[in-house]
Amino acid sequence: MTFESSPGQPPQAPAPLSPQEFKATAEGILTNVEWVIEGKSHTIKLAIAVMLAEGHLLLEDVPGVGKTQLAKALARSVDCSVRRIQFTPDLLPSDVTGVSIFDPEKRDFVFKPGAIFGNLILGDEINRASPKTQAALLECMEERQVTVDGNTYKLRSPFMVIATQNPVEMEGTYPLPEAQRDRFAARLAIGYPDINAELALLDRREEYNPLDALRPVADAEMIVRMIAAARAVHLAPELKRYVVDLVTATRSNAQVRLGASPRATLQLLRCTQVLAAMDGRDFALPDDVQQLAVPVLAHRLIPTTETTMGGGDTKAIVSDILRHVPVVSHPGRY
Amino acid sequence: MSGQRHATMVAAATLALTLTPLIGIFDGVGWAFPVLLTITVIATCGSLMRAAGRGQGLQTVAMCAGLLVVLTAGFGDGTAFLFIVPLPATFEHFGYLANEGVSGIVTNAPPVPAEGGILFLTLLGIGLVAILHDMFVVGLRTPALAGLTLLTMYLVPVSVAPDATAWFWFILPAVSYLWLLADDNLRRVSAFGHRFTGAGQLVSQRFPSPMARSARWSALAFIVVTLVSLTVVPTNTSGFIDRVAEDFEGGGDVGLGDVNPWAQLSGSLNRPEEVDVLRVSTDDPNPRYLRMHVLDELTSDGFGPNDYEEGGSLDDLVAEGDEVYTAEVENLELEASVLPVYGDPADIEIDGDWAVDDDTGVIIGDGTDMGDIDSYSFSYTDPAPNAETLAAAGGMDPGDGRWEDNTRHPDVPEMTEIVDREVGGASTVHEKVLAVLEYLSASNGFRYSLTTSEAGNDEAILDFLATQEGYCQQYAAAMAWMLREADVAARVVIGMSQGRRDGTDWVLSNHDYHAWVEVYYEGPGWVTFDPTPASGVPGAVSFPWATEPAPEDLPSQDPGATADPTAGPGEEPTGAAPDPSAGAETPTGGPTPQAGDGGSGGGAAFDPVWLLLVPLLALPFVPAVWRGLLRRSRLHPAKLTAKTAWDEVLDLAMDYGVGLTDSLTPRQAAGVLGQAAPAAREAATVLGSAMARHRYSAQGADPTGLADAVRDLHSELDKRAEPRRRYRAMFWPASLLAKIASKQAEESARLARRSARASDRVRSAVRRPRRSNSRKDRSVTGRP
Repeated sequence: MTFESSPGQPPQAPAPLSPQEFKATAEGILTNVEWVIEGKSHTIKLAIAVMLAEGHLLLEDVPGVGKTQLAKALARSVDCSVRRIQFTPDLLPSDVTGVSIFDPEKRDFVFKPGAIFGNLILGDEINRASPKTQAALLECMEERQVTVDGNTYKLRSPFMVIATQNPVEMEGTYPLPEAQRDRFAARLAIGYPDINAELALLDRREEYNPLDALRPVADAEMIVRMIAAARAVHLAPELKRYVVDLVTATRSNAQVRLGASPRATLQLLRCTQVLAAMDGRDFALPDDVQQLAVPVLAHRLIPTTETTMGGGDTKAIVSDILRHVPVVSHPGRY
Repeated sequence: MSGQRHATMVAAATLALTLTPLIGIFDGVGWAFPVLLTITVIATCGSLMRAAGRGQGLQTVAMCAGLLVVLTAGFGDGTAFLFIVPLPATFEHFGYLANEGVSGIVTNAPPVPAEGGILFLTLLGIGLVAILHDMFVVGLRTPALAGLTLLTMYLVPVSVAPDATAWFWFILPAVSYLWLLADDNLRRVSAFGHRFTGAGQLVSQRFPSPMARSARWSALAFIVVTLVSLTVVPTNTSGFIDRVAEDFEGGGDVGLGDVNPWAQLSGSLNRPEEVDVLRVSTDDPNPRYLRMHVLDELTSDGFGPNDYEEGGSLDDLVAEGDEVYTAEVENLELEASVLPVYGDPADIEIDGDWAVDDDTGVIIGDGTDMGDIDSYSFSYTDPAPNAETLAAAGGMDPGDGRWEDNTRHPDVPEMTEIVDREVGGASTVHEKVLAVLEYLSASNGFRYSLTTSEAGNDEAILDFLATQEGYCQQYAAAMAWMLREADVAARVVIGMSQGRRDGTDWVLSNHDYHAWVEVYYEGPGWVTFDPTPASGVPGAVSFPWATEPAPEDLPSQDPGATADPTAGPGEEPTGAAPDPSAGAETPTGGPTPQAGDGGSGGGAAFDPVWLLLVPLLALPFVPAVWRGLLRRSRLHPAKLTAKTAWDEVLDLAMDYGVGLTDSLTPRQAAGVLGQAAPAAREAATVLGSAMARHRYSAQGADPTGLADAVRDLHSELDKRAEPRRRYRAMFWPASLLAKIASKQAEESARLARRSARASDRVRSAVRRPRRSNSRKDRSVTGRP
């Protein structure tokens, strides 16, 4: 089963994207989203990087800082199909994936696609759904396909899940299982805006919701091309070694019970490539890796009980690792 | 005891142990107390400063101050304030002492009494070495470098008196060096904390590590191989054995007391200030040279005195011949064990016991020396053979009992060749003598110079013949040697030249020491010749017979007459008029006396030994030069890449103390550097970006302009650094030290791995036969 891409887009020439075009388009999306979320350009940049790295994004923050706004703005900036799922305790897996229902006219079961069949999926308050519903997302997120009643349906490309969750209010929630968390390429927090940004926010929203005024600056096909272009960014052996060193360091860290997975390594490198391309470069730098290490690695680590009791968190652990792992793994050289 | 105090003590003790060879060059052990006191004071000063937490600079200053206090207290001679605070007068006195010490060192042959200037110089030198030693061992924690200081301490007595320093004295310095190294390593190991064996037992810190076993075995093997190769290669051991044998015999200057004639000669000539030593009043209008020593023993070490036989009594001497002169000698300041006399002396009136050596005519004190004598008188004849007589006379009869002693010479092929070439055509003794004089003359290119090596051994003589520069010692030794090579009996005489006229007397100074040659003619006996250019010898006498007998050469045929300036082919015609009235041409009077034996005033201050200090002075600049060369090679246009430029940037950061850590990316490092040197922020950014591109992009970076960026950054860092940091970056760059340290760590790790592998191999090779599985059927019957 296939779905046509969004209508009204002229077919793009299949010429490879130059770093400058990549940078310009990415900046277009960035400016667009910034129109809605003021003063958070770094977070937005990382969110775009995750999207172009074909990763899934987990936005974890307190209510009201604009998690959903960010997700929506990102979705609106890209002209593609956007689906929204509000996760609630009574949400069923079939609501996500779709269900076969009996069509009396055809006298046959017909597959009704669920909310997951879109380019951008906004999963709001994902930890409020029951574990079985959360688990329904697993196959979709990793394999980009859905299997219902023995039939496998391919999902669209690009495909990205942007989930939000509230870390503070834990009552009546089902914390994401290990495997699910590992499927999110990055976890971002938005944080409160600073005073100027908040003032600007008030001014802008006096008359209308900027989200409504948002116009798409790229289409799905462009995104596919950008994804392909990002994959061509050069990764030097020293850089790969650095990434592996970082991930290895999470596994041997005394404060961590479970370190980052090889999937984390892959996703860190993919995001690194995108970030480099967004900077107009055709090669990645350790600086890119360092920007991404906390968002990509921190949510996958399981700290030891002692660390948790002592108030330590995994972000601090990853930052600490960044401070100690040599960028070039010769002793005495950096 | 704290680690540093322990290390300080070890450093001081090892240095003290290394000083034991000084026993060979000093009389008695009186020097030991002041030397040990100096070392102790210096070590204490350094240790106190360290205990107070002060840096190496202040420690060194404190140790220098300690040394100064010791020297002031010991040698201030009342010039200091409160005995230990030096005043300008003290330093003046030190200068005097140093001069005295230098002349003492060059005049005396060991063993010398440890007093005055010599002791002062010794303490000064040892003190400076002790400061360096302490710095190497404790301050900088590089005990391996202390090998240099220990070696310096050992080499001083060895080079001064190789004969007096037996080989076994080397054991103590060597042991103390090993002690230093071992102690430092123990300190390192004990800093690790407790050690456990493989079985988990706690072991003592001094228990050797398992790795030490392979080191011990390799050391043992090395020693065995060295000793075996020494016995197999005979040339290596001969000198060694000889020296050992010599030491046990006692070696050295038989019958000459403590003065080596050659050393006294060169020392006196090199002594800067002129001191009158003798005043002679004689009725001889033109006295010749005063004979003192006769050196007739020629070995490969050069001419040396034979054993004087104190046989004849002074009463046996009788004056023969027509003209008998008398001389009265007043001893001003001569120290010698022999009596200076003219020609053939007789009727010697002198206090004390003196005897005559029959072969040489040298008058030797028998328990008496010149120091005890204020004045003496004698009569003498000084027959002057004429050239015709000599031309007709033959040489010493080979059957003569003295033939062997006076013609013996080492077999040096180069010498034989020279003599064959120069003297081969001569048939009579006199022709040979004249040929040698001609060869050594200025017209053949020989030049007088005091600044040559002082040793009279065969190489030195060949050097002299090759460089054609030397003074009386080389001239006399060369002439006598060449004559012996040509089968003519010849010997070297050391004594004093005519001196300068003072009223009716002749005054002789230390600059009048001289060496010349005596050749044996059948009939006239021993005849004096002086090959040294007269221009070099104040108070030189020309010997008219040293010329060819020619009818037109009338003046020279008059024996005993005042010299014709052109008389001797071996003499420079100027400045050497032996006429008594020419006494005004003393070293202070003539226009060119400074070139002479006696005119060495200025030149003597520059003893070639001081040249050895040049590399020492250059030593502090080695790191700076090294670092500069490294920078140059990195920034050389042919080699310049972003990587080399960045390496240089990182080293600069380390030199100037900009803290960069391993976890910084090139761009971040550039940012940190930009903060440290804001004016060069752009240069730093360019360099960081270039490095990032070089390392991480597929294409690499363009190095254009990077060298200038590095220079900008360097000058800006230099400008912003405080002076102390700047000088450190210049002369003691941290990056260089880190490089050496990491290299050393790498090497030692490699060595340790290798030795562990080797010992494993040896162990498995040794154990293999013991396995119970001898049937080779791969069935496992023993332990796996």
